[in-house]
Amino acid sequence: MNDNKTILICDDDEGILDMLEMVFEDSPYTVIAEQNSLNVKGIVEKQSPDLVVLDLWMPVLSGDQVLKMIRKNPKTETLPVIIISASREGKKIATNAGATAYISKPFDFEELMTMVNHLMS
Amino acid sequence: MNILENGESAHSNNDTKKDFELLSRAMDASISGIIITDNLEPDNPIIYCNSAFEKMSGYKRSEIIGHNCRFLQREDRTQKERMLIREAVSKGESCTVEIRNYRKNGDLFWNELFISPVISQDGEITNFIGVQNDVTQRKKTEQDLKQQQDLMEKQIADRTRNLRESELFLSSIIQTVRESLLVLDPDFNVVSANDHFIKTFKVTKEETVGTNLYKLGNHQWDIPKLRELLIDILPTNNPVEDFEVEHDFPHIGRKLMLLNAYRIELEGQFKDQILLAIEDITEKREIERRKDDFLSIASHELKTPLTTIKGYVQAMERVMPENAGERFRNMLSKTSQYLDRLNNLIAELLDVSRIQTGNIELHKLPFDFDKMVKETVEAIQSASSNHEIQITGTSGIKVAADESHIIQVLNNLLSNAIKYAPEAEKVHVHISKVSEFVKVSVTDEGMGISLEDQKKIFERFFRAGEIQQRFPGMGIGLYICEQIIKNHNGTLWVESEKGKGSTFNFTLPVNTTN
Repeated sequence: MNDNKTILICDDDEGILDMLEMVFEDSPYTVIAEQNSLNVKGIVEKQSPDLVVLDLWMPVLSGDQVLKMIRKNPKTETLPVIIISASREGKKIATNAGATAYISKPFDFEELMTMVNHLMS
Repeated sequence: MNILENGESAHSNNDTKKDFELLSRAMDASISGIIITDNLEPDNPIIYCNSAFEKMSGYKRSEIIGHNCRFLQREDRTQKERMLIREAVSKGESCTVEIRNYRKNGDLFWNELFISPVISQDGEITNFIGVQNDVTQRKKTEQDLKQQQDLMEKQIADRTRNLRESELFLSSIIQTVRESLLVLDPDFNVVSANDHFIKTFKVTKEETVGTNLYKLGNHQWDIPKLRELLIDILPTNNPVEDFEVEHDFPHIGRKLMLLNAYRIELEGQFKDQILLAIEDITEKREIERRKDDFLSIASHELKTPLTTIKGYVQAMERVMPENAGERFRNMLSKTSQYLDRLNNLIAELLDVSRIQTGNIELHKLPFDFDKMVKETVEAIQSASSNHEIQITGTSGIKVAADESHIIQVLNNLLSNAIKYAPEAEKVHVHISKVSEFVKVSVTDEGMGISLEDQKKIFERFFRAGEIQQRFPGMGIGLYICEQIIKNHNGTLWVESEKGKGSTFNFTLPVNTTN
C-alpha cells in the first residue's frame, strides 16, 4: 500500500536533513531531501511527492510562505504538509498558513512516523 | 563762692546766709548728684558736691573736693564721651553725656552727666555745674535689650542660613539624580527643571522655567497622553506612578518615557504644585527587545542540533540489535532522558525572557480539565517508576485556558515533587472544584520548605540554600509557573512545613475569558 510513496523534506539545517534521511531509510517511503526552500515549489510540481515536511524558519523563503504557495496551486491545495519548528509560535503560524499537521522540535521520531503513516493511508 | 555772689547786692548779709543754707539744704535734698568746679583754677577742681553725689560715688566730701571730675573714670580713659566733655568745657558750652564711672569700691555705674557753664557778667567762664544721675539700671536694661536683640538677630541669621543650606542641599540632590524632574504650578507652568531634564531634552533653563509645559520648545511637549495624565488622572489618583508616554520629539527623536506625577497636598506655599519625574526608558526598552530577540534566536538555534541528536538517538534505539547488553540500552535511554532535560531548560530560558518583557502569549481554548491532569500524570508516571502518583477528586468540567501552559505548570510541580523527594514513594494529586475555580494540589513527602524560603521560591533564579547543593537547576521553574497561573487570573501557592513535605496548589477560574 505504502510502496513507492514519496516524502519531500525541506530543512535549511543540514544536520536535521541528514538525520531524517537516515531514519527514513528503514521506512517504506522514498525521501527527497532538499535544503533550499526556493526549490520546493518546483519539486512539488515536477515530482508530485505524496507528503511534504517543511521547516518553518528558513532563510529567504520561510516554511509558511512555501506552504502558502503550495496551497495556492489547485493541484496541490490538499497535499498533506507537516510543519516542523523549534519556535513556540510555530503552531499558530503553521495552522494559519494551512498546514495539515504540526510537530515542534525537538520531536519524537515515533510521533513523526505515526503522523506520516496516518497521512499516507 | 562765686555762684552765690549775685544775690549779695539785693539782700542783707543775714538774709544771704539764710538763703545760702536753704539752697545748700535744697541741693542736699536732690536725688541728683551735683558738683561745682572752679574753672579759674588749674585743672578745674571740684569745689562743691552735694550729698547725693557722695552717695552715688561712694566717696566722702573730703575725698572729692579739689579733684578733677575725671577721678571717677579711674583707668577707663578711652571713652569717646570724654572728648565731648573736654570740647564743651573748652568752648564754655553745655552738654549731656552718658559715661562709665566707678564708685570708690570699684563698682561701675553709668552716669548721665549734664554740664553747664557759669558765665560771669564780663563773659568769663568761672564755673561748671555738673548734675549727675545714676542710670546704671536703665543702661543695663538697655544693654540687656540690645543683647536680646543681637541674640535674636543671630538666631534669625542662623535659621536663615540653615534654611538656605537645606535648600541648597535639596536642590543639589535634585540636580544630581539621574532622572528628569520638573516642578509645575497648578496651571502647568514650569517652576523649576533639574539639570538632567535640561540635558536629556536639549533645552535651556531660560526657555524652560516660567514657560507653560505644553508650550515648551514650540509646543513639542503638548502630548495628548501627558494632558490625560495631568488633567484626567492626577486630580483623582494622586500620586500617579509608572505612567508610560511615547512621543516623537522634533530634535531628539522618539522617546519612551515613564512618568511619576505627584500633586502636593500639603497646605502652604507649595500646595497644588506638581512634581513630575520623567525616566527615559527608550534605550532600556530597546535593549529588552534585543535581549528577547536574542534569546528567541538562541533557543531556536540550540533546539535545531538537539533535534538532530534526538533523532539519531531514537534511530539507534530502533536499530539496536536484540542481543544488545543492558548497559548499552541504559546508556541510550539516559542520553535520551538528558536530551529532554536540555530541551526543557532551553524552553524555560525563553519563557523567562518572555514573561519579563510581558510577551507571554496565551491561547485559551476549553479543554477537559480532569483528562488533562490524568494524561499529564501518566506521562510523568511512566518516566519515574520509583514514585507512585495518586490522583483523587474530579472537577468534572471543561476549563478555558491555555492547555499547553497549564500542562507545563503541572509537569513542573510533579517533577519538583519527585525531584526533591527522591526517597519518598508517593506523590498525591487532588483535583477539586471550588466555587468558580478548579483547584489542583500536588502533595509530596519531601523535605518541606521553611517559612522564610516559602516567600522566595517563586522569585526568579532563587534556589533554597541546601537545595543548591543537592539538586541542579536554574531556579526559574516555579517563577514561570506562577506567572502562567497569574496570567490566567488564578493563584499558585505553597503550604509546607520543614520535614513534613509540601503541597503546591493552584486555582484557575473556570471561565477565563479575560
